[in-house]
Formats: sequence, structure tokens, C-alpha cells
Amino acid sequence: MKKFMNLLVKEIRELVTKQLVFSLVFTMALFYFIGNITKEEVKKVTGKQKISVFDLDKSAMSQALLGGLQMANFEIDNVAAGSKEAAVEAVRRGTSSVLVVIPPGFGDSLSKFEPKEIETYAFLRTLSLIGIRKSEILRGVISAMNGYLSDNFLKAKIPDIDPKALKTPIKSRDFIIIKNRQAEGSAAAIAGFVSSQSVFIPVILMMIIIYSSQMVISAIAMEKQNKTLETLLTVPISRTSIVTAKMLSSGIVGLISAFFYMVGYRYFFAGFTSDLGSSPAIKGVADKLGLSMNGNGLLVLGASLFLAILCALALATILGVLAEDFRSAQSLIMPVILLVMIPYFLTLFSDIQSLGLPAKILLLAIPFSHSFLAVQNMFLGNTKAVLFGMLYMLVFFGVLVVLAGKIFSSDKVLTMKLRWGKKKVVL
Amino acid sequence: MSAVLKVEGLKKLYGQLEAIKGVSFEVAQGEIFALIGPNGAGKTTTLRVVATLLTPSAGKVRLFEHDLKSNPEKFRENISYLPEEAGAYRNMKGTDYLKFMAHFYADNPQKTEEFLKKAEGIADLGGRLKDKVGTYSKGMVRKLLLARSLMTRPALAILDEPTSGLDVINSLEVREIIRRFAREGSSVLLSSHNMLEIEFLSDRVALIDKGLILDAGTPKALKEKYQADNLETVFRSALR
Repeated sequence: MKKFMNLLVKEIRELVTKQLVFSLVFTMALFYFIGNITKEEVKKVTGKQKISVFDLDKSAMSQALLGGLQMANFEIDNVAAGSKEAAVEAVRRGTSSVLVVIPPGFGDSLSKFEPKEIETYAFLRTLSLIGIRKSEILRGVISAMNGYLSDNFLKAKIPDIDPKALKTPIKSRDFIIIKNRQAEGSAAAIAGFVSSQSVFIPVILMMIIIYSSQMVISAIAMEKQNKTLETLLTVPISRTSIVTAKMLSSGIVGLISAFFYMVGYRYFFAGFTSDLGSSPAIKGVADKLGLSMNGNGLLVLGASLFLAILCALALATILGVLAEDFRSAQSLIMPVILLVMIPYFLTLFSDIQSLGLPAKILLLAIPFSHSFLAVQNMFLGNTKAVLFGMLYMLVFFGVLVVLAGKIFSSDKVLTMKLRWGKKKVVL
Repeated sequence: MSAVLKVEGLKKLYGQLEAIKGVSFEVAQGEIFALIGPNGAGKTTTLRVVATLLTPSAGKVRLFEHDLKSNPEKFRENISYLPEEAGAYRNMKGTDYLKFMAHFYADNPQKTEEFLKKAEGIADLGGRLKDKVGTYSKGMVRKLLLARSLMTRPALAILDEPTSGLDVINSLEVREIIRRFAREGSSVLLSSHNMLEIEFLSDRVALIDKGLILDAGTPKALKEKYQADNLETVFRSALR
């Protein structure tokens, strides 16, 4: 054990370089900075919106309409100009993103129930997502105006009936059923809630797998490049310990790195989602449907993620043996990335049940898929699928470890090489 | 003197290629035994097999009573190997590297300290041992690695081209260190292209070519047998 710890500490020290620490701190700081900026921008977009209005009508109707817009959380800025062109120019020079021009005779026309055209101008000052979203305020403005006016028309024509009852005569009560659990609520809202709660899990998994695999492949490649592997293989410590120390150290450093990245990502995404939090009502429905992760669920999920990481490390160890030097190690990570990306995107954008048989077999044959699927399987109560996935990963890991152990205990650790474009594997 | 290492009918195949075709020799306690031969003769492959890096295809290799195939762990406890192209961890300080390696052999802190002291004496790098290995010259790295190989007083030190890449002064120092090490009772199995070095260092020599040992004996006996002035001429005569 003492010898193993000696090796493990050395492996960790080799991996935790100044460059790694710097890149982690830098990434965190960068994400924090971007997240804060985004948060401020999102606040501006989702808060009270300023719109400029050039009212050429100045009727009681147009004033009432502007009052309605104010009630709908718009801040009205009346533009004082001599003409429509001057009003456009004034707003263009200012900061407002929207100008609404109410034409003369607007109130008269509406009081006669004749549709009247208003003009709207969106000032695209930037092509960023947030900038573009500002121009969408217009849609809200028109919708608020139409809502206000149609309500008034209906009230005038049919004073005894609530306009809302006329506009939406069919009401619906939505129920969601998952297995034997049922709750009232919107399926889309619940799906959104679950997705927002679990969206980080596949990202974390993908990052840890890629990070740790990269580290273990590089660690073996560096031993070869620096000509230290031969010496290490002749010291009195079992080859299994050498393999385990490399895998464990990469796993530990990979986890720590992924943690730092995730904290950074949280800051970053918090910028986008800070004001879009789920309501307690939706959370209550999710709880009722068993869509919240309890302690046991988290434990099973953690075990599933851990097994996926072990599989990746074992696979990376074998790939690392093929590397001749640090440079070739960079390309050898590709198979691992592919094996992670395929299930990541397939589980993100498609439903496994709707996949064709070959695609389904391919997906399930990749060990990492089972961890990506574990979250939704657990939410949906498919415990057997989760346990099967874990068993599959355990067997996969076992086979790879035995294979890695055999390679490290044989000549192959020194003689196996992958030569791109030449002879494939030289033994 | 009792044999520390016994190699009998050793063969090594890489696929269809037979790198060693049945090599036999013994190394006695306190003896420096050298393998000499041209590139591709099978010297390094033989050393790598004895160092437990390669598995023999046929034949027997025994260190004391331990068989290489059935008990490679026991082999590793009693040997140390210095490859021709070896390196040390560049981000480690010299002392840290030696300490790291010593921990594999020492079972208590006193033993580790003893090994370190020995290594510091062999390496003779003074204050530079506190610097990172990445800042060392090739000669300094070689001396550090030699110190690592010999500090634990292994029963058998396997040294592949021990003075590879060293200048004349450093080579002389390394040779003296190896001789001193053997005088203290440890055995050495080495290989070299440098016939003069072998003549100076070795108690016995084996001439190896195309995976076969052509002849073996003390440098003096070989020179007499082939009526040659030096080992280079001996080797040329043996090839004929």
C-alpha cells in the first residue's frame, strides 16, 4: 500500500501542473465574468421595457391605449417631434429600441370598429441574442395593444359577459401520468423543469470522461516520451498497481477539474437562467410525479456516473499504451470523445424508444450511454434499465481492466504502437 | 563464486523475427559481466528480458532461486535496470526523484535516508540535486539515473550502455562508480559498444552477434585465445 501511495502521489503531482491550475482559475474567472455580464443584460431585457411612442392622434382612445401599455409593464417615452421622419431620427439617436407611431384618426377608426394600421420601428443596434430579443418587444407591444382594444370592444358590445370567457371559451385541465403516478399540470412545463434540473448531469459526465481520459493517455504517453516507463516497469511494484495509480490519479484530477469547470459553467448559465426560475407550483407537481431526485436516487446516479468514468479510464489506459509520445496521445483521445459524443447527442435530441434497432444496439453497446440514460430512466421509474446499465458498465470495466493488466504485464506495453497511415498496429 | 544470475537457452521472438536464438551465461556475485556486439546483436533484448521488461519465448532465467517467468516480482526486488535511453521525471527535483524511487525499495524511513545518502554520493551533483531534472544536462541526468540504479545495492545491476552520451571525464567517473559498486559485492550485467570500456570494466565478456553468443571469457583469456591486442580484434576474429 505504501508503494502504491508513493506512486499515486507522484502521478497526481505530475498531473497537477502550474498550467493546469492557471487554466482552471482562468476558466472560472472568465465564466464568472461572462455570467455576470449576461445576468445584467438579461435583467435589462426581462425587466420593464422602454418604448418610444409618437402619438399623432392624441385622442382619448390613444391615451387609454398607452395607459394600457404602461399597465402591461412598458415604460412609455413620448417623442416630441414635428414629423414621423423626425421622430424616427430622434429615436435612432437615442437608446430606445422600439418606436410606435400612432396615426391621426386612430381613435375615430377604432370607435367605429374599423381596423387601423399603426407603424412600428425596431432599431437593431446589435446582432447579439440579447440585442435581437429587444426587437421582439414589438410583438409584445402589439399583443398587449390588441388585447386591450379587443377587451374594450367586447365590453362595449356585450357588457354582461367577461371578454376572457368569449376569447377562450374552451378551458382545459392538464394531467400528467408517469407510470402509476398522476398530477395536474402542464407536460411542457414539467419537462422543462426536469430538463433544467438535470441538464448539467450529461455535461458533467462528458467533461469528466474526456478530461480524465485525456490525462491518463497523456500520463502514459509522457512516460514513454520521457523514457521513464521502462524504469518504472522494473521497480518492485505490481503492474496492476501502476495501471491503477495512473487511472486513479487521472480520475481524481479529472473530477477536481470538472468541478471547477462546472462551478464556472453554473456562473455562466446562471446569467441566462437567473430570472427564469421554476415556480413552486411546478416543483410541487414534479415532486408529486416523483420527478425529484431523492437521496437513494442520487446515490444510484452517482454510482452510474462513477462506473462510466471507470470505463473511460480503463479504455484510455489501453489507448495510452498505443501512444508513442505526447503528440500522438492527443489524437488517441478521439475514440473516447466519439464514444461520449454519440450517446450525449442521441440522448439529448432523440428518444431511444423511437430509434431503429441498429441505432439502439449501437447506443446501448456504448457503456457511457447507460449513464446518460440513467437520469431519465430514474425519473421515469425504469430502475431495471438503470441497474442493467450499471451491470453492463461493471462487466465492460472488468474486461478492460483485465485487458489493460495483461497488456501492462506483457511485452506489448513497450512494443504496441499505433502508426497512422502506416501499418496499423505493430506488436 | 556462486552464480547470482543463470541464463540458459534464452530465446526471444518478435513475431517471426528471432532476436535471441538460445543464449546461455552466468553472472557470479561481485562480477561485472559484459555483453558486447554490434547493433541488433541482441544485447539490449537480453538485458530487457533479464530486467523483466520482455517475456522470454524459451529458455530459463534465474536470479538466485527465483525463476523469471513464475516470479518476476522477486526479480524486481533484487535488480535495478538502467536503460540506454532513460530519462527521469522532468518536473521533479533530483532529490525528489531519488526519494520517489527509494520508497519502492525501503521498508522504513531510515532505509530511505540511507539510500538517499548513497545516491547523493554516487551522483555527486551537490546543490543541483535541489533543482528540477528538466534543468539538468545529459551527463547530469545519466549520473542521477546511475545513482538511482545503484543506491539500493541491488544484487544485480543491469546497465545498458552506462556511459551512453557522456563526455570522457563523466565516462571515467561512471566507470569508477561501477567498479566500486562491484567491489562491494553486487553483480553487474552490462552491455556496450565501447570495447575499451568493456576491457577496463569487465571481469568476463560474452561476444554476441545475431542473437547468439560466439564466445565468452575474461578479456585476458579471450585476447590470448584469439591472439589479439584488444577486444575489438577479438570480436572481429570471433565473427570469422
